[in-house]
Amino acid sequence: MNLVRHLLLCAGLTAALPALSQEAAGAATGPLRVVATLPDLADITARIGGERVQVQSLTRGREDLHHVVARPSHLVALSRADVLVQVGLSLEMGFLPGLLENARNPRIRPGQPGFVNVSVGWDPLGVPEVVTRKDGDVHPDGNPHLNLDPAGGRHIAARILAGLTAADPQGRAYFEARAAEYGKELDAAEARWAAAAKAWAGRKIVVYHKEYDYLARRYGLEIVGSIESKPGIPPTPGHVARLVEAMRAAGPVVILTAAWSNGRELAEIGKAAGATVVELPNQGGGTPGAETWIGMQDVIHERLARAFGSEPPKR
Amino acid sequence: MQDSTLSLLVLAGLAGSAAAQAPAFSTPGMAQTPGPPAPSGEASGQTDRFRSVFNPAFSFVVDVVADHLDAEGDATEDGIGLELRAFELGAQSWVDPDAWAYFIGVTDGETVAIEEAAIHYQGLGGNTTLRAGRFFIDFGKQMQTHVHELRTLERPLALRAYLGEEVKGDGLQYDGWTGLGDATAVRWSIGAFASLIPEGDEQEAELELGVAERKDPGDLNFTARLTAFTDVSTNGVFQAGFSARFIPEASAELNGSEVGGLESSVFGLDLTYGWTSDDARRALTLGGELLLNTGDTIARIDDGGTAEPDDDTLTGFDDDAQLGWYAFVDWSWDQQHAVGLQFSAAEIGDGLDAAEIEAYYTRRFSEFHRLRLVASSFESDAPDADALRFAIQYTVMVGAHGHGLNW
Repeated sequence: MNLVRHLLLCAGLTAALPALSQEAAGAATGPLRVVATLPDLADITARIGGERVQVQSLTRGREDLHHVVARPSHLVALSRADVLVQVGLSLEMGFLPGLLENARNPRIRPGQPGFVNVSVGWDPLGVPEVVTRKDGDVHPDGNPHLNLDPAGGRHIAARILAGLTAADPQGRAYFEARAAEYGKELDAAEARWAAAAKAWAGRKIVVYHKEYDYLARRYGLEIVGSIESKPGIPPTPGHVARLVEAMRAAGPVVILTAAWSNGRELAEIGKAAGATVVELPNQGGGTPGAETWIGMQDVIHERLARAFGSEPPKR
Repeated sequence: MQDSTLSLLVLAGLAGSAAAQAPAFSTPGMAQTPGPPAPSGEASGQTDRFRSVFNPAFSFVVDVVADHLDAEGDATEDGIGLELRAFELGAQSWVDPDAWAYFIGVTDGETVAIEEAAIHYQGLGGNTTLRAGRFFIDFGKQMQTHVHELRTLERPLALRAYLGEEVKGDGLQYDGWTGLGDATAVRWSIGAFASLIPEGDEQEAELELGVAERKDPGDLNFTARLTAFTDVSTNGVFQAGFSARFIPEASAELNGSEVGGLESSVFGLDLTYGWTSDDARRALTLGGELLLNTGDTIARIDDGGTAEPDDDTLTGFDDDAQLGWYAFVDWSWDQQHAVGLQFSAAEIGDGLDAAEIEAYYTRRFSEFHRLRLVASSFESDAPDADALRFAIQYTVMVGAHGHGLNW
C-alpha cells in the first residue's frame, strides 16, 4: 500500500511537471527578449534595440544593488531571455549567480551571444592589489559603478550594440542606426554636463559608498573620505569621529549618497561636520526625472550644481 | 683536447644544476646565486601536473554558542554552556559543463562527519537537476538548510520532533521547475534514499531506530516536494509548499528488545510571505508550516516494574497521527539588525504536547559574521522537561560560502 502511494505520487509529479518545464526552454520567435540587471541598462538597450527587443529590468531605481532579493519573476524572465545585459565586475554578485544557475538558460551563459557584460573593455578604478576581506566587501575586479560615470553611457551603449548585433545579426543596420541616433543625444548631454561641471574641479566630497568615484575622477572632485569604514562595512563610531574631523579640516564638503544609504546618520554627520547631504540616484528610475540613463545623469548634475552653487545643466 | 672540452661541459652542467637548485631566498653569508628562470608561456611547455588553477572554491564556517539553561527537574543539566557547535569546511567546483559537486564536512570538536557530499547534474534538459550523494532532504523551507544558516538558534520543535534536528540521506533526488505566467515559479522534487531516520531525537534518545542496509526498491526512504512562489505586487513574494517524507520499513531497538515492520510518514504544508522595501534594506518575513506525523509514532515500553531505564523493553508501537506546527515573524529594519519570534507546538507522545517559543535579536557586522542573542522557553506535558534558555550565538562564514537558492 505504501509502495503504491509512493509510486503514484512520484509518477504523477514526474509526468506532469517536466513537460511543463519545456515551456521555459523555448527559443524566441518575436522580438529579442532582453533581461537587464539595472534600469539604466534596460533603458539603453531599449533605445538601441527599438522594436526588435522587449526589455525587462531585474532591479528597481531605489534598490541597494548589494542586497537585491531574487524573485520568482526574475527566475522566469531569465529562463526565457535571449539576451542578458549585466554590468559585471561583480556588481550583481549578490543575486545574479543563483538566478543564472537555476534559470538554466544556455542562451545567456558566458561565452554565448546572449551574454552581454558591459564592463568588458572598461578601465576600472580601485582594482585591489590584494583581495582580502580585511578591506571589506571588495570587488576583486575593480569598482563596478561605471554606470555613474558621465562617460559610462557611451561605453555601455557600445557594448549593448555589440551584444544585440551578436544575438540578432539581421538587425545590425537597425541597431547601428538607432545607436548613432542615441550617440547624438549623448553628445549633447555630455556637452551640457561638462559645461555645468566646469567649475567643480577640486570641490570636496564625502561618499557613503564608493559609488561616485568615476564621477569624481571625471570632474576632478576630491574625495575626502567615505562614511562606510570599508566597502560594505557600516561606519563605526570611531570612524565617524575621524571622518567628521577630516571634513571640518577640509572646508566645505558635500556628502553624496544614494537613496538606499540616505539614513538618519548621514544627516547627523552632515550636521556635525557642517556639510550638505545630497541624495543622488545610483541607477535609473526611482527618482523623478531619472527614468532614463541620460535623465539620471541630468538629475545628478542638477543636484551637484545646486550643492556646489553653480549653474545647472540646461536640458 | 676532447677530454678538457668534456670536463668543461660537465662543470658547466654542474654549475647549471647548482643554479637550478638555489634556495628560494638568501640570508647574509649565503652564496648569492641566481634562481632558475620562471617558466613562461610556450617556453615552459607541459612540465607540471600540480597546477592549482582548477582547485575548488573553499569555505569554512564557525558557529559558537554560549548559553545558560534553567531546566526543571534533574533530567537535564542546568547552568552555563560554551561550545563550538560546528566547524564546517566546504568545497565546491564545476566538474564539467553540466555538473558541479561539493562537500561539507562538519565537526563539533569531538566527532567529524561528512554532512553533505553530492553532485548536481544538470544535463538532462529543461530546468531539471539530478542530485546524487549525501545531502539534506528537500522538505519545507527549513530542513534544507544547515543549522547555522537558520534565522533562529534551533530548528522549530515540530520539525525536530517529527523529522529530526537534521535529516540528510544518501541517495538520489530529481527536481525541476517551470514558470507559470511571468511571475510564478513552480518547483517539484522527488528523492529516494537509503535511510532518513531522524538524527538527534530528543524525546527517545535511548530508542535506536534503523532501516536495513539493503532493501527492496519499495523499502527505500522517499521524499517529495511541490512548491510555488510568486511575486505579490512589486515588493512581496508569497510561497506555498507541500512536502512529504516516507520511511516504509524500519525497526526499533531498546535494551536488546527489537520491533520491526515500522512505518513512518510525515507531511508538511508551508506558507511564507516576504516583503522587502524599495531600497532592499528593510524586510519582513512571515511564515509557518503545519506538520502531520503518521504511522508507528508511539513506542510502547514496558518498564519492567522498575524506574531503571536499563530495564525498559520495547513491546511495540501504536499507529497514530500527530499534529505539529510552527510560525515565525522576522523583521530586519536595515541590513545590520533583525528581530524575530518563533513559536512551535507539537504532539510528541501518547497524550503529550510540547511547545517552544524563541525570541531573538541578530546583529550582522557584515555579510560574513553575525551575533545573535536568543531567549527560548520549552514547555512539555512530559515530566521535568520544561526549560528556559538564554544564548549568544556567534557565526562567521569565510570564503565561497553558499548553499544556493532556498526553494
